[in-house]
Amino acid sequence: MSEVALDHALVQKLVGAFADGELPGDEASAVQEHLRTCARCRRELALQQGLSRALAQEPAPGASVALRRRIEQLGPPASRVRAFFSSRPWAAPAAAALVIIGIAAGTVLLRDRPGHGSTPIAEIPVFRDAVADCRRVMARNFPRKADLHAVAEGLQFPIRALDRPDAELFSTWKTTLDGVPAAGLAYRWRGIVVVQYAVPAELIRRQPQAAAALHRTGFYAASDQGQGILAVLADGTGILLVGDAAPEVLRQLIL
Amino acid sequence: MKAEPKRARFQSSTLPHLDRLVALASRWANGHEAEDYVQETYVRAWAAFDQLRDAGAAFPWLCQILRSVIGERRRTRARRQQLVFITELEAAHEEIVASDAPSPLDDLLARLESGMLRQALRSLPEDFAEAVELHDIQGLKYSEIAQIASVPLGTVMSRISRGRQLLAGLLAVTASEGKAGNGEARERSPGNVLRRRDIAVSGLPMENPGRQSKRTSDE
Repeated sequence: MSEVALDHALVQKLVGAFADGELPGDEASAVQEHLRTCARCRRELALQQGLSRALAQEPAPGASVALRRRIEQLGPPASRVRAFFSSRPWAAPAAAALVIIGIAAGTVLLRDRPGHGSTPIAEIPVFRDAVADCRRVMARNFPRKADLHAVAEGLQFPIRALDRPDAELFSTWKTTLDGVPAAGLAYRWRGIVVVQYAVPAELIRRQPQAAAALHRTGFYAASDQGQGILAVLADGTGILLVGDAAPEVLRQLIL
Repeated sequence: MKAEPKRARFQSSTLPHLDRLVALASRWANGHEAEDYVQETYVRAWAAFDQLRDAGAAFPWLCQILRSVIGERRRTRARRQQLVFITELEAAHEEIVASDAPSPLDDLLARLESGMLRQALRSLPEDFAEAVELHDIQGLKYSEIAQIASVPLGTVMSRISRGRQLLAGLLAVTASEGKAGNGEARERSPGNVLRRRDIAVSGLPMENPGRQSKRTSDE
């Protein structure tokens, strides 16, 4: 390679940094010296500067109002859940719980992590029943109707759908968990099916380990044999989430 | 540590960068998907907020988390992205800098509508496009980009220089194809030109940036 070709090759790599003022002094001086006598590299410099300026003026998308609101609500679980419910126009103050059930891929029992329970789901009646109901409904390919008013009829607590533009509610049904009437709501979310159950808050509170975790960390999370669950409490309301992703991921549904 | 002060510090450190994160995430996805990436980034940032020592370095830190989030998502859902014939772009760039014309780049830029340059940048190989975007659009320093991409400073230098060279080549190729098809002016854009070419950078699809970079990088 000739001396000139070597210079060109080097300048090709450095000219962008030179244009941006990011080149150390000695190298910048060497490039400057080369530019004095090389028209081609001066054109290269002009190209780098021109494109940099043009790109800086390109319009950029910003965050939506909904995303900004969700990010602003990040923090202690109680405040997040309160904000989530307050965004629902038909929210009622009565204590209730939402149980969100999905089908999980892993077989993991989460332990030794804040809020993560070590009791198998099968030993907690409301979770066990919710998982079983979810399997049963999925095996039947879900009821074809999605009617919130119909499933809320006769229940002593409000039923609220998830406030997520990317969660599509496609099925609702009535059921019973741990002997208590409940409602199921199924969503398509991020390529998976998530099922939400609504039950009285007391049904979750009376599970000792869940209640302790909810008090300590603001949520209860577990997964077992392909099903995961996440529960939170706020303002006397209990929320239990279970999904086909880690409970931390499912928490995004209520952020 | 009290939750509310922490929350306030988190918000003051990270919320000013929300729009920029969304803009950066839109490199890989559009609309709700890009916002999902950003939301997950903030969830992780909140969980790891105690690890952020310098609030002034919050944006590069968030960029690192965003890259991690997107990397995980893309591993689970391989996508075929825009493909570019890199040797043709190099040749086109060479023509520009070899030309005695007064301002060939200005002519090329004048043909573009607002937003098309950014769109063209996203059609380039990921390593180059990311470095150029982080510097020219997001305003990061080379050292910050090196930190985000976990590469040496010299690699950032060469990626930015070469990324702009390829971008210039793409604009030239787009313009020449537009001239060749006079009746198709409304279809003329860097994206459309590339869509008409079912070919990849060095023959490799873009869903595996690691393999691609070995074939195209001049580092």
